[in-house]
Amino acid sequence: MKYLIRRLADSLLLLAALSVVSFVFAQLAPGDYFSELGTDPRFSTETVAALRAQAGLDRPLPVRYAKWVRSCIRGDLGYSLAYNSPVAPLLWQRIPATLLLTATATFLAWLLAVPIGIWNATVRGTWGDRVSQLIWAVLLTIPELVLAIVLLVLAAESGWFPAGGMRSAGFSAMDRWAQARDLAWHLALPAAVLVLGMLPVLVRHVRASMLDAIDSPFALSARAHGIPRGRLLFRHLLPAAMNPLVSLLGFSLGTLLSASLLVEVVMGWPGLGPLFLEAVAARDFALVLAVVMFSATFLVAANLAADLLLYRLDPRIRTE
Amino acid sequence: MPVACDPFLCVQGLGKTYAERRWWGGSRSGKTALEDVSFHLEKGRTLGLVGASGSGKSTLARALALFEPPTSGAIRIGGRNLWSLGGAERRRARAEVQLIFQEPAASLNPGFTAAQIVEEPLVIQRWGTRQARREKACGWLQMVGLPRQSAGKPALHFSGGERQRLAIARALILEPKLLLLDEAFSGLDLSIQAQIESLLAGLRSRLGLTCILISHDLRAVARLADEIAVMDSGRIVEHGATADLAARAQHPRTRELLEASLALSLDGTLS
Amino acid sequence: MRIAATLENRPAAMLALVFLAMLHGAVVLAGFLAPYPFAEQHRESPFAPPTRIHFFDAAGHFHPRPLVYGPEGSQTYPIELFVHGRLFGVQEPGVLFLLGSDGFGRDVFSRLLYGGQVSLLTGLAAAFLSLGLGWVLGTAAGFYGGWLDRLLMRSGELFLVLPWLYLLLAVRGFLPLHITALQAFLLLIVVIGAIGWVRPARLVRGVVLSGKERPFVLAAQGFGATDAYLMRRHILPLTAGVILTQATVLIPQYILAEVTLSFLGLGVGEPVPSWGNMLSEARQYYTLVSHPWMLTPGLAAIPVLLAYLVLADALLPDQRYRYP
Repeated sequence: MKYLIRRLADSLLLLAALSVVSFVFAQLAPGDYFSELGTDPRFSTETVAALRAQAGLDRPLPVRYAKWVRSCIRGDLGYSLAYNSPVAPLLWQRIPATLLLTATATFLAWLLAVPIGIWNATVRGTWGDRVSQLIWAVLLTIPELVLAIVLLVLAAESGWFPAGGMRSAGFSAMDRWAQARDLAWHLALPAAVLVLGMLPVLVRHVRASMLDAIDSPFALSARAHGIPRGRLLFRHLLPAAMNPLVSLLGFSLGTLLSASLLVEVVMGWPGLGPLFLEAVAARDFALVLAVVMFSATFLVAANLAADLLLYRLDPRIRTE
Repeated sequence: MPVACDPFLCVQGLGKTYAERRWWGGSRSGKTALEDVSFHLEKGRTLGLVGASGSGKSTLARALALFEPPTSGAIRIGGRNLWSLGGAERRRARAEVQLIFQEPAASLNPGFTAAQIVEEPLVIQRWGTRQARREKACGWLQMVGLPRQSAGKPALHFSGGERQRLAIARALILEPKLLLLDEAFSGLDLSIQAQIESLLAGLRSRLGLTCILISHDLRAVARLADEIAVMDSGRIVEHGATADLAARAQHPRTRELLEASLALSLDGTLS
Repeated sequence: MRIAATLENRPAAMLALVFLAMLHGAVVLAGFLAPYPFAEQHRESPFAPPTRIHFFDAAGHFHPRPLVYGPEGSQTYPIELFVHGRLFGVQEPGVLFLLGSDGFGRDVFSRLLYGGQVSLLTGLAAAFLSLGLGWVLGTAAGFYGGWLDRLLMRSGELFLVLPWLYLLLAVRGFLPLHITALQAFLLLIVVIGAIGWVRPARLVRGVVLSGKERPFVLAAQGFGATDAYLMRRHILPLTAGVILTQATVLIPQYILAEVTLSFLGLGVGEPVPSWGNMLSEARQYYTLVSHPWMLTPGLAAIPVLLAYLVLADALLPDQRYRYP
């Protein structure tokens, strides 16, 4: 318990440091939101300077930082110059879409990876295993970008799936059931890309962990005792293999978020990804910072949760 | 500098207490590994240091071999207190005391060849030219019973017993005055053990080495040792000539070790 | 070296290495191997399909030197070697688009080779930077320990707290956007390489820390070795294996990073091709449907990544240990 409190304090410190470093970096970096205007001959330098002052971009760093912190406490999370609105509503509008996508993809990927990984482990060395390994290797090396583009083309050509977007026209007019179906229909391809991207890594991990458990001395002695295979698998081996997999969950989340950013941008899924990209291109610092802090907080929280889960699941850790 | 004691190795009131660090940076005294250890050893004699795990014998070895400073007391070798020397001087003085570790495999860098292993001490102490070092190393390979041609073989390719020979050659190439062997025989097959023992016996008489053999096994040490010191809980509880010990063992600990060593023959002498 | 021995035992890994060497060689020689310069446009043949090569002409005669048909359809142009200072090509107005042409009539095959220079070399150079930085900082942290170690590890956590693409975009985004292609190329290398120092540093630090405890290091101390000697002779050679393994993992990641950035418009820009910005032309799905050859830059990455994967598997078979 003391350990967890220390971890929590550590994480909060880290996030605070991240916000400070971001401010400093943005300060040191050449240019800001109004730099583009500065190059436009129609705007005089005085106008640009006035705009800057109005937005408060010319104040010293600590002042701006304090202003941002106050804004966060109020719940606004900063002020977006590009959208001319507090950042918070922009985020809350987009976050559910990203969460839906990543959660669905994670759930499906694990749902598929665990049985397939177990199967791979049990048939190790046979043809099935070798072919599987080959498939995973190739799948692993297909860039998600390419996969997204290809699936999009197939969707457009075949009409089986929508070519991007999250909702069809007339969404609001549908009943709940039809809305859910429509959402799922749009979710299918982006989620598929993410799942296909995650699956090889997960399956390999599951397979390796299961093999470790299968080869361990306690498993050998359990087999020697005559414990039937099914019971051995689920009551003894799987829990032992779970430990590294829970850690993997925490670790792979970062990669997943990066992948989902790309998928959202390419396939037109209205999540955080396209918002972030726009904000970066426009140098809208408040929006960029908010997304950065949100994703960092999300990752940190997920890792803490994974550690907590590990603590509960694995008695070996508790005895330390 | 006036010499306080005549014997070659003189240990007086040696103590070692480990400090426990508090998380705020302060410390308090923790485990006492050695307490008031004193003994003498004449030149050319071999001392067997025996005791159970945790008796402090390894700590004593490390203190003697200049790996861990004692918290109290003094060690004098040939009249010099090596711990009182400064950094660079002490590094040079390390040539005088050598320690052979327990795990022969681990104490040799697997990426090195036999010649590189044996000549390393010469390289570190900047002795001679590259040619001269290589020659000396090859000479020592022969002295420990390994063929000269194996000089270029990587350490990986040698067996356990052969690696222990390499470790011995390496330890002796600087011609130390005091040689310490910490459980150097455990982990080897009995037959290999016997070979290493006879090798050591031969080298010892040829070079006039002063040795300390450290072990938990009385029998392993008894064959080579002239004297035996028994340690328990950081102290020396008994110290005498090997032959005497079996007959007149005083301390219960010694008796335990004797019984454990299965070598007690019916008439009570150590064989 | 043990690394070489490991590779020799795995024919797949040797094959991968040879393939990578040949590919990099081909890409470096793009100026010679590509039939056209990367910016040369043929406005009259936009989105031309891959040029068909014939060994038999319309009359049925066999030509050992293959030929292509000109735009009108009847005139033939033989493929010649060493033409226009390049390995092969055809005379005007014949065109030799091995992989078709893009919207501006530029030869995709040539741009693929030139684009490979950017994408592949960015990956290599950035990985080199990351590994170098990580090696220096990891060694310092492991060797000196204390406050330096704590400072470096804490700073490292800052780089790992974000998803890598978010970090990459944020850093790249706030640096100058309107720069020349060469500046963009160098900037990409610096940005991608600099933010990736943490994992290699951690691994090297781990090796140095455990190295300090190895018995043969203690033994060398027993002979009076200085810290500098121990590092140089015993500990640092241990880091070579870790660095090499990390290289096989980082290089493909960095190639993808360049491709992603250029695809999103934050990397190398027109007219210099990179596999990334070539793919962004293919982003419109109707482009791909009618002109599938526009996908080749993406497809070209697959064998490269596969080769690195095979190498990585050979050097460190248990994938779980690749992520510290």
